Amino acid sequence: MLLVRDSMAREVATLSPGETAGAALALCRERRIRHLPVLEDGRLVGVVSDRDLRSATPAFGDPARAAALAEVRVGDVMAREVVTARPDDPIDGAANTMRERGINCLPVLEGDELVGIVTSSDVMDSLVFMLGAHEPGSRMEVVVPDRPGTLAGVAGLIGEFGINIVSVVTGPRQQDKPPSRVAVFRVDTINPVEAANALGRAGYRVLWPPQP
Amino acid sequence: MTGTAAIVHDAALESYGFGGDHPFNPLRLRLTLELCEDLGLLEGYPLTPSEPATDDDLTTVHTLTYVRMVQEAGRGAALFSDLLDFGLGTADNPLFPDMHAACARVVGGVLESCRLVMGGGATHAMCVSGGLHHAMRSRASGFCVYNDAGVAIARLKEEHPGIRIAYVDTDAHHGDGVQWMFYEDPDVLTVSMHESGRHLFPGTGEVDEKGHGRGRGYSVNVPLRPFTDDDSFISTFEAVVPEVLRAFGPDLILSQNGCDAHKLDPLSHLSATTRLYGHVPARMHDLAHELCGGRWVATGGGGYDIWRVVPRAWASLWASVSHQDLPEKLPEGWRARWEGKSPVALPRLVRDDPADYPAGLRAREISDGNKRTAERVLREVLPSIR
Repeated sequence: MLLVRDSMAREVATLSPGETAGAALALCRERRIRHLPVLEDGRLVGVVSDRDLRSATPAFGDPARAAALAEVRVGDVMAREVVTARPDDPIDGAANTMRERGINCLPVLEGDELVGIVTSSDVMDSLVFMLGAHEPGSRMEVVVPDRPGTLAGVAGLIGEFGINIVSVVTGPRQQDKPPSRVAVFRVDTINPVEAANALGRAGYRVLWPPQP
Repeated sequence: MTGTAAIVHDAALESYGFGGDHPFNPLRLRLTLELCEDLGLLEGYPLTPSEPATDDDLTTVHTLTYVRMVQEAGRGAALFSDLLDFGLGTADNPLFPDMHAACARVVGGVLESCRLVMGGGATHAMCVSGGLHHAMRSRASGFCVYNDAGVAIARLKEEHPGIRIAYVDTDAHHGDGVQWMFYEDPDVLTVSMHESGRHLFPGTGEVDEKGHGRGRGYSVNVPLRPFTDDDSFISTFEAVVPEVLRAFGPDLILSQNGCDAHKLDPLSHLSATTRLYGHVPARMHDLAHELCGGRWVATGGGGYDIWRVVPRAWASLWASVSHQDLPEKLPEGWRARWEGKSPVALPRLVRDDPADYPAGLRAREISDGNKRTAERVLREVLPSIR
């Protein structure tokens, strides 16, 4: 789970370098997408985004627009250096690549063959899915010392209340000395209060729900 | 504003509870009814009994597999691991003996209230055991096994073809079960005002959950900031609810009057007082007379400060439903009877003293945030409601 193959779109709209900017923009509109891989003889040679196409053509209302849309070719405006992913890459790695490069899509290649595309919205979906935010649940935030066994301790206490943990994510909390982590739990209960109070009694700092 | 009122209740409805120190404690119904009685609010209003909902009633919105599972669970005849898939046998929804019968009774109470009002037997009716809004099609959730409002709405739609029903939910938790049951239905407007799901169960109820397909625009969600107080809750309610109800034009209003937005409630983080629980029912009453000949059914819902908040909030609800004035003082008899049993000091007055609830430090910021939410709701859903 949480691999690129689980999140990528498998039906990919593609273009060839010779197609016009007008045709490419029409395809974006029709399919409600922003990124199009460009193929030549079945091989990936570039990626073009609706933004690339817009910046290469005059704005709406400009009399020169129609001519430019028919004239500018995808091959002229596409990015030729394409960053790609493989289906079995972890999604977090793909997300980090997009973040570092400041890009919003990765064509997915198996060997030389284009088998999918993963975009920043797909990463968003997988974040929501991973955190269980689409299922009923309450949120608990607990500060845990950055030491072995502490997360297990918190989870064990929650388990003792018969509460199912839907997801757990931890992140660093720099302001604390020594550094600690915040664990954010999504728990399948309307009533996290007693578990939160028990955590408080056990010496953990509970940030949410608010403690009396 | 007049019209006849009915209160649907009998002792059997108090068997819906999960036992032990589970927060959903049926004692809250007993405390409420005895308070209504001692305040003199039940004089001339005999309790109307009701029949349990049938399997046919329940399967209007629940799957038969789920209903069978609840029936077996109450007999101890189901495998624990199977039950968990249906949300049963969890910490929130533990099993209790004869749970099917108890849960079906609650549904029957709300169904009876709706039939009374639609049949002209009463203009307004209250069934305070109802309001179990989290129950899903095939899953118990958040203390709710069967969805009473869901069944009642589905049945009314069968019995009165073409009927339009507005469901208004002011529980601190999002009314997710009812919303999902009618998410594609333009004849059922669901309006839920609740603490934002970013922090609170069930996590849903954002403004952009607006309904789907033909029902787009007919699910209205107003997520409030944590620590929202009376002033902000009331002004947000006033900004949204009358407008969307007028645009919709219901034939019946069904309100879920959970009272867990009160500052003392242990399960939410809102900061309302009894003022909210006087205001909301009074306005539902006005709107029912303005829009649908007074036809209004009120249910209870969440509310987990069972000693100080629930009895007063729901006595106030009944006073609105039955056009009676609410006395100022809590009857000494009621206080004396329950004082020894309550773990907290019981209040002396029916209404909270505002001096005990000073505005929070961030009240302004919270109220500005809620105001923007209300504006967004109106901008995004109002144009699609007709």
